[in-house]
Amino acid sequence: MRAARGIAGLIVLGALISATAATTPAPNRSPATHARALPHSAHPYPAEFPAGNGHLIAERACAICHSPMLVTQQAKDSTGWEKTLATMEKWGAPVSGADHDTLRVYLVSHFGPKRK
Amino acid sequence: MERRRFLLNLSLAGAGAAALGSLPPGARRALAAIRSAPPGVIVRNDWPEHWETSIEALGQSFHTPNRVFFVRSHLPVPEIDAKSWRLEVAGLARAPRSLSLAELKGFPAHEEECVLECAGNGRARYGLPSTSGTQWEYGAVGNARWGGTRLSDVLNRAGIPPEAKHVWFECADRAPLDSTPRFLRSIPIEKAMGGALLVWKMNGEALPLLHGAPVRVIVPGWFGMASAKWVTKIRLEAAPSDNHFMVRGYRYNYPGVDPAAAGPVQELRVKSLITSPLDGAVVPAGRVPVRGLAWSAGSPISTVEISSDGGTTWRPAKLGATGRGAAWSEWTSDAELKSGEGVTLAARATTVAGETQPPAAQPNAGGYGNNSIHVVTLHARG
Repeated sequence: MRAARGIAGLIVLGALISATAATTPAPNRSPATHARALPHSAHPYPAEFPAGNGHLIAERACAICHSPMLVTQQAKDSTGWEKTLATMEKWGAPVSGADHDTLRVYLVSHFGPKRK
Repeated sequence: MERRRFLLNLSLAGAGAAALGSLPPGARRALAAIRSAPPGVIVRNDWPEHWETSIEALGQSFHTPNRVFFVRSHLPVPEIDAKSWRLEVAGLARAPRSLSLAELKGFPAHEEECVLECAGNGRARYGLPSTSGTQWEYGAVGNARWGGTRLSDVLNRAGIPPEAKHVWFECADRAPLDSTPRFLRSIPIEKAMGGALLVWKMNGEALPLLHGAPVRVIVPGWFGMASAKWVTKIRLEAAPSDNHFMVRGYRYNYPGVDPAAAGPVQELRVKSLITSPLDGAVVPAGRVPVRGLAWSAGSPISTVEISSDGGTTWRPAKLGATGRGAAWSEWTSDAELKSGEGVTLAARATTVAGETQPPAAQPNAGGYGNNSIHVVTLHARG
């Protein structure tokens, strides 16, 4: 929230702030190094579809071409998922007519729009 | 590599491509783990690889090391035998030709230092209620030395007729399903002749497979999708490509604007990043050293400014190492922080051409081009 207030402050004040007249030191060509051990790689999204009516369809239709992670990080309403499904089916995702609605409902249920 | 091939063969055997989807989860995980992400990488998608570089890793060196350099592949990484690889130069070329890697390397060598940034970098930071695409935060960007030859040299050798206005790049990657469009980008002939490269070296090392080996395109100053990987064919054409990734993808669709009029995503936008302190860090109250990076499509960075009071006042940072052309610049500064939780620190870059970062970039449906001012929240104690 505090970060959000900070950003809001920037937005409000941004238009009022005139460009700085500060002088800039001449650049040099000596890049600094700040090497230290890095933490292990992060995996912020589930790599499997969550259980639920439709997850087997998702496994079968989506994971032909890409990891479930590409789905599990999304947030879309019904219209958004319908558009995505239409594109994926046009590109060959094997979703039968009966499975289409089940899959859309599953996706909206698990990966619906973010609440503000 | 053998293990990967085994798994691919396993997945594609018998029932065809659909079998990949029926692989048990353990086998799919193994497929993804073959190119396991190193420390410093955030895996936004495990296959195809969408790897983001952590801000901490970006802050460690002027040239982003190959092992942590962000990866964005539209389609699975192809298997290419460099010995049999050929680059066709075709379309309207007066003298179409097919070049081996050795023949391509016979052209004058050239190295360019530049930033490569995914057009969707920062998409997650738009905070859109409905999203599409990989949810990149800050690190789908890197700065490298790209070694190869000028695209203009190759095109000139093939002969450019006056009617050739665009250069199309066809690539070796393809989806498991043939009905999925191939990835293809084209750029205007002026851009192709004005600094684009055919690259086989990255930071002085052989170009890694994940980054497009044996040969990729680098278009300095443009977002990453223009820099096609695994290129196999260059076509001189009169018109831009009508491929999905040109006509529908990579367009700025703003709310209330006719999608048919959406402009193409092309040039990088001026941007800066605070690499230290990291967001959420606990720092001692008082004078705190700050450092970061700033870049643009090519106009040199003239100033980077720091604000620790929500944008009321700004202080200039000191510019440090600066690359040529569209490489990034390092900067350092310090900020006087009063004791408190949730103290914000912001950085704003401006170019010689007068382009400056907005407090908040205008959201667009694809989540492209987010160059909003970077803000970190710190906890100043003591």
